[in-house]
Amino acid sequence: MAAGTVAYKDRQFLAVIGDEDSVTGLLLAGIGHVTGPPDAQRNFLVVDAKTENSTIEKAFQNFTQERNDIAVLLINQHVAERIRHVVDSYSEAFPAVLEIPSKDHPYDPEKDSVLKRVRRLFGE
Amino acid sequence: MEGLFFNVNSGYIEGIVRGYRNSLLNGQHYSNLTQCETIDDVKLQLAPAYGDFLGALPPNPSTSALAGKMTDKLVAEFRYLLAQATGSTARFLEYLTYGYMIDNVALLITGTLHERDTRELLERCHPLGWFETLPVLCVATNIEELYNSVLVETPLAGFFKDSLSHQDLDELNIEIVRNTLYKNYLEDFYKFVTTHPDFKGTPTQEVMAEILEFEADRRAINITLNSFGTELSKPERRKLYPEFGKLYPEGSLMLSRADDIEAVSLAVSISADYKAFFDAVGLTQGGGLGGMGGSDGKSLEDLFYQKEMEMSKLVFTRQFTPAIVYAWMRLKEQEIRNVTWISECIAQNQKERIGNFISVF
Amino acid sequence: MSGAVGREAVFPTRQSLGLMKSKLKGAETGHSLLKRKNVSEVRISTFTYRRRLRSTGINRTPEITRRIDEAKQKMGRVMQVAAFSLAEVSYAVGGDIGYQVQESAKQARFRVRANQDNVSGVLLPHFESYTEESINDFGLTGLGKGGQQVQRCRETYARAVETLVELASLQTAFVILDEVIKVVNRRVNAIEHVIIPRTENTIKYINSELDELDREEFYRLKKVSGKKQRDVAAADAEIEAAREREAQKQLGAATETPDGPEAPDVLGEQEDNDVIF
Repeated sequence: MAAGTVAYKDRQFLAVIGDEDSVTGLLLAGIGHVTGPPDAQRNFLVVDAKTENSTIEKAFQNFTQERNDIAVLLINQHVAERIRHVVDSYSEAFPAVLEIPSKDHPYDPEKDSVLKRVRRLFGE
Repeated sequence: MEGLFFNVNSGYIEGIVRGYRNSLLNGQHYSNLTQCETIDDVKLQLAPAYGDFLGALPPNPSTSALAGKMTDKLVAEFRYLLAQATGSTARFLEYLTYGYMIDNVALLITGTLHERDTRELLERCHPLGWFETLPVLCVATNIEELYNSVLVETPLAGFFKDSLSHQDLDELNIEIVRNTLYKNYLEDFYKFVTTHPDFKGTPTQEVMAEILEFEADRRAINITLNSFGTELSKPERRKLYPEFGKLYPEGSLMLSRADDIEAVSLAVSISADYKAFFDAVGLTQGGGLGGMGGSDGKSLEDLFYQKEMEMSKLVFTRQFTPAIVYAWMRLKEQEIRNVTWISECIAQNQKERIGNFISVF
Repeated sequence: MSGAVGREAVFPTRQSLGLMKSKLKGAETGHSLLKRKNVSEVRISTFTYRRRLRSTGINRTPEITRRIDEAKQKMGRVMQVAAFSLAEVSYAVGGDIGYQVQESAKQARFRVRANQDNVSGVLLPHFESYTEESINDFGLTGLGKGGQQVQRCRETYARAVETLVELASLQTAFVILDEVIKVVNRRVNAIEHVIIPRTENTIKYINSELDELDREEFYRLKKVSGKKQRDVAAADAEIEAAREREAQKQLGAATETPDGPEAPDVLGEQEDNDVIF
C-alpha cells in the first residue's frame, strides 16, 4: 500500500463526466478547472446522445490514468453504464470513481461497480 | 382617432393575437396539470393547446424536450405574425426579437473567445433570435473579425457601435457585454415606441412605456443585487443601468451607490410597487439573500414575474396596438416556464413546490 | 501427509529441530495475530466509518454494506435536490446557462485535500474539501436575471459535492481496505495451509530421522559389544587351550625331566597365571 500513498498529495481536483445538467450544476459548485495553455485541458466532459462511447472511454482513461491531479472522478451512472466494462475493470484507489445519479436517471445501487465489490467483500 | 386607420394595416394581426391569447392555459388547466403523475399525463393535458407540436415527442420525454416543442409552437406563431406585419408594426415585432439576438450573439462571442467550433453553437441559439446572417458570424475565427461582422451583418450594430469596442469583447466578462447590449436595446426600444410618429400619443406608447420602464427598473435592481460580492465595480455597474424608468435618475443613482440590500430597498422605495415587493420578501429587515424565500415561498424575481404577467394581461384591455403581441409573447413564455416547472416537479418528485408557478388567467 | 506440502531441505539434526520448533511457534502466533488483525481491521474501520458517516447523517445499521448503500442513497437524494435547484435556475433565467457556465469555468474554486488515517497499520486516505474563496468564475452569471437563484444553486451544489467527496473517501477507503484484507487473508491462508503443515512435516521428518539414527546407533553398539564378547570368549578359549597345553607339557616333562626348567620358577609361573586373568 505504501506505493499508493505517495502519489496523491497533489491530487486536488474533481473531474466529472456527465450530461449537461449534471456538469452545469457541478461546475456551478466550482469544481471546473481548465489547465493553463498551451494544452488547455478541462476536467469535465459533457455527454449527450451524440457523444461516441470511445470519447467517453478516452476521457475516463485520461482522468483516471494520464492526469495525476484528479482526486475524485464523478461519473453519471447512465454514462458509466455505456462504458461499464471499463468502469468495472478499474480497481485503483486513486482517483476514486464515484457513480452519481443524474436528473433523468435516478440512482440504481444494483449497477454500481464499487457497491458490487463491497457486497462481494462482505459476502452478501 | 388613433384607431381609425390601425385596422387597415394591423387589424388582422391583432385579431390573430387575441385568438392566440384565448388558447393560453388558465387556472383550470394548471390545476389539472399539477395533478399529473407522469410527463405523459402532462403531454396529454397539453394536447388541446399544443396539438401536433407535442406529437413527435417520445413517451415520457425529458422536460427540456417538452419545453423545446412548446417553444417551437411559440416561434411558429410569432413567425406567422411577423410575416403578416407591415410598416411600423413589422418594425415593432422585429424589436421584440432583438433581445433574443443579443443572447445568441453573446453565445457566439463566448464560443469564439474560447476558440470553440461556433457552428455547433448555432443549434443552441434561440430560434426567435435567429436572423439570416447569423451563420455568417461563425466564419469569424477571432474576436476582431467577429466584431466587424456583427457590425456589418446584424441588426444589433447600433447597440455595439458606441459602447463596445472589439477590445471590450475580449476583456470584459460576457455578462457585462450582454447587459450593456441589453441596456442599449431597451433604451432604443423605448425611444422607438415613444417617438415613432405611428406610436406617439397612441395606446402603444402608453402601454409599452410602462412595460419597458418596469423592465428597465427590474434589470437595474437585479444587476445591483446580483453584483454584490463580485468584481463588478460601482462605476461599471452604473453603466449597465438603462437610462429611463421609474427609478431613473434619482433611484438609479442611489442604486449605483448601494453596498447592501438595505441601500437597495431604500433606493427603490421611490416606487410604491417595488417597495411592496421588497417588503413582501422580507429584504427590508436585512434578511440577506438567505431570506430570499419569503413567507409564501416567493422570491423577488417571482414577484417581478408576477407583476410583469399582470401588466401583460392588462394590455389586452387596450385596442389598436401591437403591444398585445409583446404581451402575448411574455405570457406565452411564462406559460412555457410554468409547464416546464410543473413537469420538472413531477419528474423529480418534488410535488410540494409544484404550486410555485405564475398563472394570471 | 507429505506429498503436496513437502518439507524444508534441512539436515535432520537436533539443532535444526530446535529451529523448526521455534519457527512453528512463530507461525502459529503470527497466524492468530493476523486473523485477529483482519477482524479488527473490519471492526476498526467500521468504527471509523460510523464516526464519519454520522457526519453525513447515517448511523443506523451495523452493516457496512448497508451503510455504504445508505450513503449512496443519500447521495441520490442530495443530487436530486441539487438538480432541482438547477431547474429553479432555468425557471428564473428563462433559458439555458449550461454552455456559458462551461465556458466560463477557469479555476477550480472547490478543491479537495487528501489526508491519511492510520487504521491498524493501514493508511486510509481521507479527502477533505475546501474552497478557494478568491476564485469566483460565475459571480456575474445571471446578472440581469436569475442571479439570486444561480447563487442559491451554487450553494446547493457545493453542499452536494461535499457529500460526494465524503462518499468518495469512504469508497476509496473501502477499495484499499478490500485490497489489504485480501492480502492479509492470503497471508493467513498461506500460514495456515502451507507454512504450518510444512514446518510440522519437517519436524516429523527430523524426529523420525533422529529416531532412525538412534536405532542405528543402538544396533551398532549392540553389535560392537557382541563382537567384544566373542573376542573375549575366543581369548579365554585360547588361554584355556594354552594352559591345557602347558599342563600337558608339564606332565610330559615331569615324566621325562622332573626337575628341569620348573625348579627355578615355581612361584613365577603362578604369578604369570594371575597376570593373564
